[in-house]
Amino acid sequence: MPSVQQASTDSATASEAPSHLLLAFLQSQSQNTLTRLYQRPSSCLSIFRLLGPLERQIVMNLLWLESSIPASTMATWVPHEVRKTYENSLSILSRLHILPQSAVKLALNPTFKTSLRHAIIGGGSSGSFGVPATRDEKHSSPSIEVLDAYALERWETILHYMVSSGIATRPSQGVLFLLQRSGLMASIHGGSLQITSLGFQFLLHSPHAQLWELLLQYLHMVEERQMDLVEVLSFLFMLSTMELGREYSVEHLSPTQTAMLEDLRDYGIIWQRRATSKRFCPTRLATTLTSSSPPLPAAGGVSASAHGQGFIILETNYRLYAYTDNPLQIAVLNLFVTLKSRYPNLVVGAITRESVKKALTNGITADQASRQIISYLTTHAHPQMRKNKPLLPVTVQDQIRLWELEKNRMKSQEGYLYTAFASQADYEYVLNYAKQLGVVLWESSGRRCFFGTLEGHPNIRGFIERRTAGNA
Amino acid sequence: MDNASHLGVVLDLSPKQWHLAAQPSNPHPITLVASLSHLLAFLNAHIACKDENSLALFGALPGKSVMLYSSTMPVNEEEIQPADANTYRPFKVMDSTIMKHIVSEVEALGEPEVEEPIGFVGALTKAMCYINRVTNGSTSSTSRNDDLATLPDPRILVISVSPDQSSSYIPVMNLIFSAQKLKVTIDVCKIFGGESVFLQQAAHLTGGSYIDIDRPDAILQYLMMSFLPPPGLRQLISVPTQDKIDFRAACFCHKNIVDIGFVCSVCLSIFCQPVPVCSTCRTKFPIKTLQRLNASRPNAAPGSAGTPARSSTPARTATPAISANSLPRSTSINPAAVPRVVSNGSAPATSSPMQNGEPR
Repeated sequence: MPSVQQASTDSATASEAPSHLLLAFLQSQSQNTLTRLYQRPSSCLSIFRLLGPLERQIVMNLLWLESSIPASTMATWVPHEVRKTYENSLSILSRLHILPQSAVKLALNPTFKTSLRHAIIGGGSSGSFGVPATRDEKHSSPSIEVLDAYALERWETILHYMVSSGIATRPSQGVLFLLQRSGLMASIHGGSLQITSLGFQFLLHSPHAQLWELLLQYLHMVEERQMDLVEVLSFLFMLSTMELGREYSVEHLSPTQTAMLEDLRDYGIIWQRRATSKRFCPTRLATTLTSSSPPLPAAGGVSASAHGQGFIILETNYRLYAYTDNPLQIAVLNLFVTLKSRYPNLVVGAITRESVKKALTNGITADQASRQIISYLTTHAHPQMRKNKPLLPVTVQDQIRLWELEKNRMKSQEGYLYTAFASQADYEYVLNYAKQLGVVLWESSGRRCFFGTLEGHPNIRGFIERRTAGNA
Repeated sequence: MDNASHLGVVLDLSPKQWHLAAQPSNPHPITLVASLSHLLAFLNAHIACKDENSLALFGALPGKSVMLYSSTMPVNEEEIQPADANTYRPFKVMDSTIMKHIVSEVEALGEPEVEEPIGFVGALTKAMCYINRVTNGSTSSTSRNDDLATLPDPRILVISVSPDQSSSYIPVMNLIFSAQKLKVTIDVCKIFGGESVFLQQAAHLTGGSYIDIDRPDAILQYLMMSFLPPPGLRQLISVPTQDKIDFRAACFCHKNIVDIGFVCSVCLSIFCQPVPVCSTCRTKFPIKTLQRLNASRPNAAPGSAGTPARSSTPARTATPAISANSLPRSTSINPAAVPRVVSNGSAPATSSPMQNGEPR
């Protein structure tokens, strides 16, 4: 079947692409840390889900074997053409210390094996999937709508704050610190926080990637705050395996994890009735950490949620209609669209040369700008647009790329401009000298001036001085 | 590639066959309970691979088929034991739902004198319908359509312990055609009950794998290595395929599996003996042809009347006979050489016999 063939070529390239953000972070951790992490079934399950499909299958093939099997036996299952992909997978697993590298025998890390088995068939007594709270007589547990609204509100507060460059409602101190530390926002001249070029790129990412970027930053900070990394990671993984809409008890959490509750509440990952409450609820942001389903309920008002994620219609004449009343989405669009008019549920604008160039100067780095804008438009395209093939009008895509290239057309170089030569002969004499050195960048004999590089300046200057001294 | 995949499982729950399978006289006895615990671990592993993976489990019971579990089933909170901290909740919900349904269905069976034929085809059809529904989605909501249209690689795993019922040849072949059209892979895990001709064909024609399990006590490892990878992944890590496939068909008249069949040149119905009138399409065949075919019947078939059906020369007879056992039984069989798709220049045979509906 041609379709299957297609899938295989895709996967071959996909597996060489960088895997999940977190895996890279985990690979940099010590074996000791990882082994402690693997003691908890929920962590194993979550890490397993973050692995690529081939790695998952290799783990599953080995999971139920009591003894190790010869590496050659396993290799016979792999067709020759994709041997490289397979070896790549093995090396990822060994760097995660899940499958120790060995040319002869293959056997899973025993800790990982035991825990993943426990995760799949149940059993064990680690309590790693979270201890559910007993039913509360006074308050019923919050509905999923409440949790979604809460997560959305928190998350959009953060993003909106970034877009508005510090004018909108301020998120809590912890969030501000994290934004600053991660370089997404920076305070210029000691003033209020301003969004950086990294921050602009961040805004165009999918919510899932955004969330992990922030969490990774959080993990990087953990050691400075003298928190135990394993505790922090396993708490995140525990959250990712919890059930949406269920309340869990805080009593069994370690002190580190209790301290994390406050931070996670600020990010909208968990919900608590009061800061001192003995119970907490994971929100959708938490429960989708290791899956690819959208981590936020359809962002925006009624109109957007009816259509799921997509709300943008882009026409071949560069006009753009966005069916949204969400200030955040409008603010993000405003980064690269000239907005013309606004209706209760619709924003109309156009992608123009000026608007794209504004986005470029705003710091969406040049080499990725067009790709990011196009991918943002693609992921948020209205369902009506999905009928088109290709999804976005080719003219617009190409033009955005061209505008980007336009910016790259200019190259700047530091140097010196030499002007006001007394005579044409003087000018040509110095110019010839500079040319011999190969430092001339630009020359205009009509105006008797030329531009030389920074490196050539001492020589030229010396030459001119010697010449004027000689003439005098 | 790294997309969610859907797995439909058809579980054969024939009490008689499971009883036979558990007899200590077998070289490797296996009980239903033991197999179920392996199966549940396998299903959990499927869900563990990806949060969005979906699952539907259908049970084939004597005389009927039921849906035992599906990912979209509403969960009845009261019936599930309270959540605990040591198990992943979705696994627990799934496992207890499945077990509860199986127990209630099996208890409801009673003890009839003669066991009705197993509702295997019904279960397989339901699994196929379910896939059709989730892949095509409901037309009412557009956004839902978008989500489900991205559900690639649907597959069905058949866990069989019963031998073939030759009466189910036509429905099974129809299912295979629908599966091919929907690009559904059918995998077969044969735990007990001998080789199954129809299921071998189903697996072969849909690109799945058919595995006759030698050691039922290690069924989990078979399931994990052969049936867990979704079809897209099988390019990267291969799964066992059959080295020989039995391509025999069942005749439409007596539902016997035949080595030599006689095929109506109009509608391609298969008969075990020459008939004057096709029971499916009512075509009348010349008496001369009948006589000649009858004369050549006993063992002369491969030489005289057997080959014309597969050759490209237009046959003058209305009822060319074909011989299935003259085909080599090996993987080198070209599916086009299978009797059911042989059509002849002399008659306007445009559709396959199985799509013409049930003969009487």
